[in-house]
Amino acid sequence: MPPILRPVTLRELVVIRLGVAVNLVIGQVAAALLLPVFLDTIGTVLVAALVGPRAAIVAGLTSQVLNAVLSGNFTWLPFGLVQIVIALYAALAARLGAFRRLSTAIPAGLGLGLVAASASAPISYFLFGGVTAGGVTAVTTVIRALGAPLPVAVAAASYSTDLLDKSLVFALVAVVLRSLPHQMAVRFPMLAR
Amino acid sequence: MIGYVPGRSPLHRAHPYTPLAVAAGLLFLAFAFRSPAAVWAVVVAAAVFAAAGGVLGAVLRPAAVLALPTWALLTVLHGLLGGPPHLALGPLALSAPGVERALVFGGRITAILLAFLTALVTVAPPRLVEAMTARGVPFGRIYLLVSTLTVVPRMRARVRQIIDAQQCRGLRIGGSPLARVRALGPLVVPLVLSALAEVDEQALALDVRGGSAAGRRTALAPPADHAADRLVRWTVLVGVVAVYAWKFAGAGR
Repeated sequence: MPPILRPVTLRELVVIRLGVAVNLVIGQVAAALLLPVFLDTIGTVLVAALVGPRAAIVAGLTSQVLNAVLSGNFTWLPFGLVQIVIALYAALAARLGAFRRLSTAIPAGLGLGLVAASASAPISYFLFGGVTAGGVTAVTTVIRALGAPLPVAVAAASYSTDLLDKSLVFALVAVVLRSLPHQMAVRFPMLAR
Repeated sequence: MIGYVPGRSPLHRAHPYTPLAVAAGLLFLAFAFRSPAAVWAVVVAAAVFAAAGGVLGAVLRPAAVLALPTWALLTVLHGLLGGPPHLALGPLALSAPGVERALVFGGRITAILLAFLTALVTVAPPRLVEAMTARGVPFGRIYLLVSTLTVVPRMRARVRQIIDAQQCRGLRIGGSPLARVRALGPLVVPLVLSALAEVDEQALALDVRGGSAAGRRTALAPPADHAADRLVRWTVLVGVVAVYAWKFAGAGR
């Protein structure tokens, strides 16, 4: 049976749940440190590295739905597409060994920032007129006030925030994977590939 | 956080899929239109939907809290910083096309918030789980949606414990941006590693409860799916398809 059609095992299901929970609570850490980043895809990237793309897509989409349910802000639902893009990119990066060193994880994270912003900026601009999450919209407003056209301001805000956010996410996942005790690491065959 | 509010309204008594289908239909309709009048008709429909559930008062406040910052930003981004021609409004000069765009985008966001908050407060989670089980939704999907909601408060408490513990060990969470980025590792790594350490134990617990069992699970008290529920869901589906067909045929404005 092709891997994509194989049923999800209970262990994978528990790891997906872990990834979703990490996505939902990690903002608390960023807020405690007063950092202007979301880090809300760290669980999706972790699941992609530990289990694979399909599990990461499930983790990303579930995070998006539960984030909307917990916050009441259902306008985030269309950004589920970005979670799929992130899951696929992260799984490919893991397969290419990008998480083995920080020196490869950070550039790969910058690449994800470009890809994620390219996916989220059109959704933000066409569906919501550039007004979405508070921090990103504040950046959009400043760039617009400086005289840039709205599409340029939305794209610039998305790229600047996503490049920082996703490079940090990849660096943190690389640190987590390197910190995994050997007995725990061997239970995730994707890590050995 | 807003959650289920018990009640006896038609939405509370309906099959759980029905309010969710109506909310999803309103979301699709909100994105189908590009004129302020049409989008605000969807907002009115969402308000009627909330009133039908007897929860208009309960959802208006959280919807306003969530929508007001967006409205403020839309006013600045499109109204104040939008292109000509401008309308004089007291001391302010607002962009006429910008105001129109702000009304469309703000209307969409308001409609989506009203519709889904209504579904959130009228659909009881246990009834939704029973309905999904009765429909043969795989155990894994139900587990992910329901169980994760229970684990989040525990993880939040763990985050607080880790922050306190690391600060006791001398970790500074203030300072320069670089110092704060450096503090991420000591906070994130223990959180993820402690959660990963429980994976095997939780998988075993699920296994002994029949989580890996094949075959359809039996719902103990599946909610009734009346003809009226099915009629509403089909009407929503046909309505949304018709609006998009009309839109792509070139008539939608």
